[in-house]
Amino acid sequence: MTLLPRAACVVALLLAMTASAFAASGDHGLAQWSIGALTQAKARIETLAGDLAQAPAELRRLNGQTRASLMSGTGVRGFTYLLIMLLAGSAAEWLYWTYAYAPLRAIQSASVQSPRQALRVGLRRLLLAGSGLMLFTVATIGASAAFSWPPGVQELVVAATLLVLVLRLAWVVVAIVLAPGRPPLRLVPVAPERARWLAALAMTVVCLLALGRFVPDLIERISGARHAAGAFRFIAATAAALLLLVVSFMFFGRAVRGAGAARMPRFPRSFLLALLVAAVYGIWLLATAAATIAAIAAVVVALQIGLRDMVFFFWQSDAASATGPKDKTEPEFDPVLPSIVLSAARFMVVLLGLGACAIALDTPAAELAMSESPMARLGLRVLGVATLALLTHAVWITVRTAIDQRLSRIEPGDAHEGPNASARLLTLLPLLRVTASVFLVVMLVLSSLWALGIEITPLLAGAGVVGLALGFGAQALVRDVIAGIFFLAEDAFRIGEYIESGTSTKGTVERITLRTVALRHHNGPLHFVPYGALGTVRNNSRDWVIEKFNLPLPIDVDSEKIRKLIKKVGEDMMADPEVGPLMLQPLKGKLQSIDPGVKIFRCKFQTAPGKQFDVRAQALKRIEDALKAMGVGFAQGR
Amino acid sequence: MHAPTVLRNARLLSGLVLMAFVTSHLGNLLIGIHSLAALETWRATLMGPWKSGAGLALLLGSACVHVALGLYAISARRSLAMSRTDVVQLGLGLLTPPLLLNHVVATYIAGEVTPDFDATYGMMLAVYWSFAPGYAFQQLFVVVIVWIHGALGLYAWLVLKPVWRRIGGLVLPVLFAIPILALVGFAESGKEVLEKLANDASWKTHITDNLERIVKVTTRLETFQTVVLAVYGGLLLLGIGVFAARMLRNRWESVRVSYDGGACAQGRRGLSVLEFSRLNDIPHAHVCSARGRCGTCRVHVDSGAQALSPPNAIERRTLARVQAGEGDRLACQARVLGPGVCVTRLLPAHADASAARVPQEWMAVDPAPAGEPAP
Ligand code: FES
Repeated sequence: MTLLPRAACVVALLLAMTASAFAASGDHGLAQWSIGALTQAKARIETLAGDLAQAPAELRRLNGQTRASLMSGTGVRGFTYLLIMLLAGSAAEWLYWTYAYAPLRAIQSASVQSPRQALRVGLRRLLLAGSGLMLFTVATIGASAAFSWPPGVQELVVAATLLVLVLRLAWVVVAIVLAPGRPPLRLVPVAPERARWLAALAMTVVCLLALGRFVPDLIERISGARHAAGAFRFIAATAAALLLLVVSFMFFGRAVRGAGAARMPRFPRSFLLALLVAAVYGIWLLATAAATIAAIAAVVVALQIGLRDMVFFFWQSDAASATGPKDKTEPEFDPVLPSIVLSAARFMVVLLGLGACAIALDTPAAELAMSESPMARLGLRVLGVATLALLTHAVWITVRTAIDQRLSRIEPGDAHEGPNASARLLTLLPLLRVTASVFLVVMLVLSSLWALGIEITPLLAGAGVVGLALGFGAQALVRDVIAGIFFLAEDAFRIGEYIESGTSTKGTVERITLRTVALRHHNGPLHFVPYGALGTVRNNSRDWVIEKFNLPLPIDVDSEKIRKLIKKVGEDMMADPEVGPLMLQPLKGKLQSIDPGVKIFRCKFQTAPGKQFDVRAQALKRIEDALKAMGVGFAQGR
Repeated sequence: MHAPTVLRNARLLSGLVLMAFVTSHLGNLLIGIHSLAALETWRATLMGPWKSGAGLALLLGSACVHVALGLYAISARRSLAMSRTDVVQLGLGLLTPPLLLNHVVATYIAGEVTPDFDATYGMMLAVYWSFAPGYAFQQLFVVVIVWIHGALGLYAWLVLKPVWRRIGGLVLPVLFAIPILALVGFAESGKEVLEKLANDASWKTHITDNLERIVKVTTRLETFQTVVLAVYGGLLLLGIGVFAARMLRNRWESVRVSYDGGACAQGRRGLSVLEFSRLNDIPHAHVCSARGRCGTCRVHVDSGAQALSPPNAIERRTLARVQAGEGDRLACQARVLGPGVCVTRLLPAHADASAARVPQEWMAVDPAPAGEPAP
């Protein structure tokens, strides 16, 4: 079942990507397109070589230029303003931390038992640190607005501030996700010794990428040194790619060991990741424009590879306790929730990837939705269907799990027990499950059709008309079904109970279906009574029954003695291990009337439903024995 | 008074003197927002005292004492367990002397060597804004560095005092306003100087004459600088060397300390209990960064008290101030000399400076601090 939405996601992704590729290639033939790409790549490599060759000379010139422009009143002024900005930002943040530091420490030093708690802690840390960063940003930028900048300097300063921001933000995220030095707070499955290294490497890569993004642009814009900028980009990208290769081989070489000692051998992840890195780097080398998309796709793929471990990490402790020594009282680890989260996460990753692609391609989402290209439209629609399928799947899994769990809790040992509270659930829950599945499937089909752009209004209208006709015809049916639901909801009867309906049908409830209840008469025939015809229900199997019988004795017996005798018999029966538990109140008897020659004693007792016959037989037998022992016989008939 | 107390107070006092000097200097610079003339006028009032014999002696003495004590503190370290503020503080402190030296030489020493050299603000600003802007970057940088170093120190000291409640709201903004305004003053008066250089020929000749005078003695000044820097570098290396030796000496003598809540730390013999916590990632409050002032690191020694170093004067005083009970120690001062130490942290790890200001308020806190889940 989990395969379905995943497949849907993959298909959607592929379709959307081909669609965008086609849209980008402007509907040329594939051959033409590839020739174009090759020429482009060749030109690109030539440019790169040229950049590298000419960069040193340009850098020297640039160095001189920068020196000249910095070593002037303008440079000093710009630097002063930059310092003031940063001071103002730091001031705001320091003030903030004087309040926020204690809560942060309190959060960080709290003992964290499970990764899910760690996630909560991580979110709080993100909030605190993020607010500080926000304040810093606002104060810094605000301060920068207060100055009249020398021409050209503001760009530099803004770029520097942005760089600081990006790096700080990256650090906040890395510190929260990897939590170097605080193993319990870690949000990903990484060994403690490796977390520090991984954090350091991640920060270096981010640094390189950020520098490679901001600095060359600045160089180009301020001094027009194209080659130097190109060389800078090349060096930064190469260094980042190399580092990423190191990361993928060092940190993803071995799969996370644990429960799966006997796991099937898999294609090594490190190799896959390395391939991805190399591919993105290669694409960047050949065609810079496509590199962003490639990088996004690579990140999406890499995340998909690791997502399972990442998501299941949060339920890891449950899984461990489930596979460990079995403890009956603990609820069993049930991988349903993580599976739902996993498929949702997979889908989210794809969606975010597509969103990032759209941003990178500068295609506003609204425009894309409106666009005339049929491929793009189809891609979007398939995406919508995939969303729906995923949602339906999640809802279905949730409902089914809830119902199944409830069912599995009441099932054991239920077959031979008498009617109890779970009998009703036993009848209602499977019903509910079927209803839910039908409802969900119908909804899914209808809304997918709608999402695919197929007009479903006539369908609905037709269904409405048919429904109306059927409704008139099936009025009785509907009445039965609805009455049945209410009977069950009000707990009027359960399987195994002995009931009499208003139409004087009686019997033990054997089966409950959507429309009828099957009653087994004590003589054998099975009645199928539609709920609608059930009318007043007299349930003989609820809580208790009172049974009464008469005892005619000769006129000359001592009433008080007999009363005591009956009472004694009643007490004995209560104490009896066999009969006692069936009885709710002991047998009692009293003189009811005196007829000519006969004293009639009225006896009564209370038992559990259905047991009165056995108990009465017992009582009569015991009373007879007791009377015999006393020497009293029953009244003679006339 | 015992040696550690004397050293600590000397460091604090010299730091305060230096801070006062920097404040008056930056305060003077701040007047530049108004005009260059006002800047010069106020110079006599604000900077004059520091040029007089006593002032100069106090200033130079403080600077030497502060630097020497800082280097001594490095050599006296036992481990690398430092908070982030500590690292910043240390790094900035170490950077200050080499960066600041040429400014000191240009303004103080040059005046001694060439008596007719006149280090006015106009003169220095002209150098920075027009003749040798390279120095301006260095000096701007140094302003920020010195001020952050000083402000961190001042804050760490003041925040533990009960008066902080009343003055804190005032002091913090001022701590930030001063350097910001001083930099603004620097920028404004710089503009004025540039204008004057362009328009006022006689003033310009005055400046260039002055500059020539100092250029003549550059070599002498530079030798002096090199000597000072060499001495400083040597002392720094010495301090680091002593620290490294100390780190390596007890390398293999590992002991264990156990904590409340079942935590356990492993470390070199001779480290303080707080260092054990920090090196093993065990949450432990330490508001004053192991200076023995705040008392938030205090622990109750459950067993192995004889394996801890005896309390020194600083510790005894702080313990008395926070009304610590029998068998309580400051984790940052008590060094672990043997095995079998078992302690209970008395304050939660998130205790802040208010725990040092009003220890009574935190006394009621249940002594099961770090274990409870987040609120
Ligand atoms: S850390 Fe402040 S007294 Fe120990």
